[in-house]
Amino acid sequence: MPQVIENYHKTPVVGDKRSNAIDSRLGRKTNPPGCSNFISACVRTTLFALLMLHLTEATSTPSTVRISFIGPPNSDPHLGARQGILEANVQGKFLGIRYELVTTQDSTDAVGARPTAIVGALSPLRLLKLSDDASGIPVFNALAPNDELREECRTNLFHTIPSHTMKIDALQQWRRKHPQSTAEVTAWHHSFKKYAASQLNRRYEKAQGKPMTSEAWAGWAAVKLVADTIARTQDVSPSDLIDKLQTNISFDGQKGIELSFRGTGQLRQPLLLVESGNIVGEAPVRGIVESTNLDSLGLSDCPK
Amino acid sequence: MRVVIFLITWSMISAAPCSTGRVFVTNERSDNVSVIDTATNTVIKTVPIGKRPRGIGLSPDGKEIYIAASGDNAIVVLDPESLTVVRSFKSGNDPETFAVHRNGNIYISNEEDAKASVFNPETGALIAEIEVGIEPEGVAISPDGTRVIVTSESTNMLHLISIPEHTILHNILVGARPRAATFSADGKTAYATSEIGGEVKKINVETGRIIRTKSISDDEAKPKDILISRDGKRLFVAGGRASRIFVLDAHSLEIVASIPVGKRVWGLALSRDGKHLYSTDGADHQVSVINTELNSVIATIPVGKSPWGVLIDD
Repeated sequence: MPQVIENYHKTPVVGDKRSNAIDSRLGRKTNPPGCSNFISACVRTTLFALLMLHLTEATSTPSTVRISFIGPPNSDPHLGARQGILEANVQGKFLGIRYELVTTQDSTDAVGARPTAIVGALSPLRLLKLSDDASGIPVFNALAPNDELREECRTNLFHTIPSHTMKIDALQQWRRKHPQSTAEVTAWHHSFKKYAASQLNRRYEKAQGKPMTSEAWAGWAAVKLVADTIARTQDVSPSDLIDKLQTNISFDGQKGIELSFRGTGQLRQPLLLVESGNIVGEAPVRGIVESTNLDSLGLSDCPK
Repeated sequence: MRVVIFLITWSMISAAPCSTGRVFVTNERSDNVSVIDTATNTVIKTVPIGKRPRGIGLSPDGKEIYIAASGDNAIVVLDPESLTVVRSFKSGNDPETFAVHRNGNIYISNEEDAKASVFNPETGALIAEIEVGIEPEGVAISPDGTRVIVTSESTNMLHLISIPEHTILHNILVGARPRAATFSADGKTAYATSEIGGEVKKINVETGRIIRTKSISDDEAKPKDILISRDGKRLFVAGGRASRIFVLDAHSLEIVASIPVGKRVWGLALSRDGKHLYSTDGADHQVSVINTELNSVIATIPVGKSPWGVLIDD
């Protein structure tokens, strides 16, 4: 199966700081003070400059982190993952890390690419098989809401898309406040403006050419979580990443509150109530529960 | 002789940086600026400014006030004496937060373009652009003018940048959604808030290393603006949804007081003598005045809709 490798690297603008640093270093060394022998000074200078150039190039070669995407190309989770890679590379530029997205529709290829993480837009059965094949690698579910996947409580499975039960709980809370409401529950909406949602919606639409959906947000969130955790912990080993995702993330998904993964692998998150295309509320529903009580939505933990 | 004395006195007064003793508040949702007289703590005038005014700053000579009118993509210039708008200039998309350098230039974070821009407010010319992380927000310039910190909210970094080279010296990873930063008077230490991370970090400016982190345990706390006291011993942190101002010991970062103010407190400004702190309580459409010796509110002043930034000209 053919693989597609995409960097989504923003090309550096004029005034790229790294090249300026190289220039200033070379510039300063062309006139060393106190030279007696002009020719040997020139040779020394040239050799030194070449050495500096080599060292600079060597130290500025970024380490590459590969993330596999498995699912329909150009699906919403795929576009979300691509947006995530674009943004991860902005952060990575400052840390000497370069992110690559390897897109495939084959589990074997996804794992064979030796990725640090895998983002999947798959049916439940295929997702579970991928989780088996990719043992020791974090696998993100950006599509399937099935509760059974959460009840599996697999250590390497992380669900950024909300579960059925989360949505039902959100709707129940909402209906206690608004019994006649016909609102539906969603993880994200393209008109969401609060917190930093409008910024994300704007830049996603600009880059990807269409409004951001919940599945796109789930793909984006998966990649951002990986990148931010790697940046924070300076660690790229997949098994350490699994541990850090469970214990040490600092991420709000532009939803205004710190998010974290439950023991089931589900990302705790606020949800939106949408009626006739307009956002009418948020869950957890203030007044029914504490708005910060994210565990009021969905299956809270794994059986001991 | 009297004419000579008059001329000497007049030239001394006009040569010194003038201060009006007024507090200026940007009202994000009523598109105007409230002007408060600190002698009476009442609003003496409300000046229409432009769409969605947010960041506010003072020129080094005290003669001009700059306001970012985010909805107009412009910086509006207000005369603090006559309270009239004298001019405005385009400043890139959606200007929100900026800092004024002692040389007069303005450093603005361009939230949508992952850049910080430097403008000459006299001519409106763009001097430089610095690439930073995604959603740049807070801008703070060191007292000696050789360093600027720009926070990137979505990239979770502080960028420590040299002036005038505009080279990034350090990129410091912090808690989720870094908002604002401030420098100590000697410029050796910087302090920054992370809104979603709910923390304050203390940074060694020379090495870029994090010296200490304080998690603000109040769940509601979304720390935003941060200022250092005049004696350098205390930090004031606007607690956002916690509707409190947290007072921290600048050395240990321990919380020494928490002052209840109005809802959604974001912006802070400190009087020159350090004795009074002004906060914008956005959801209560008011400004709180705090006595910093007592750590308590001594007045609340109703202003326009959703006050955002506050500046004291004293």
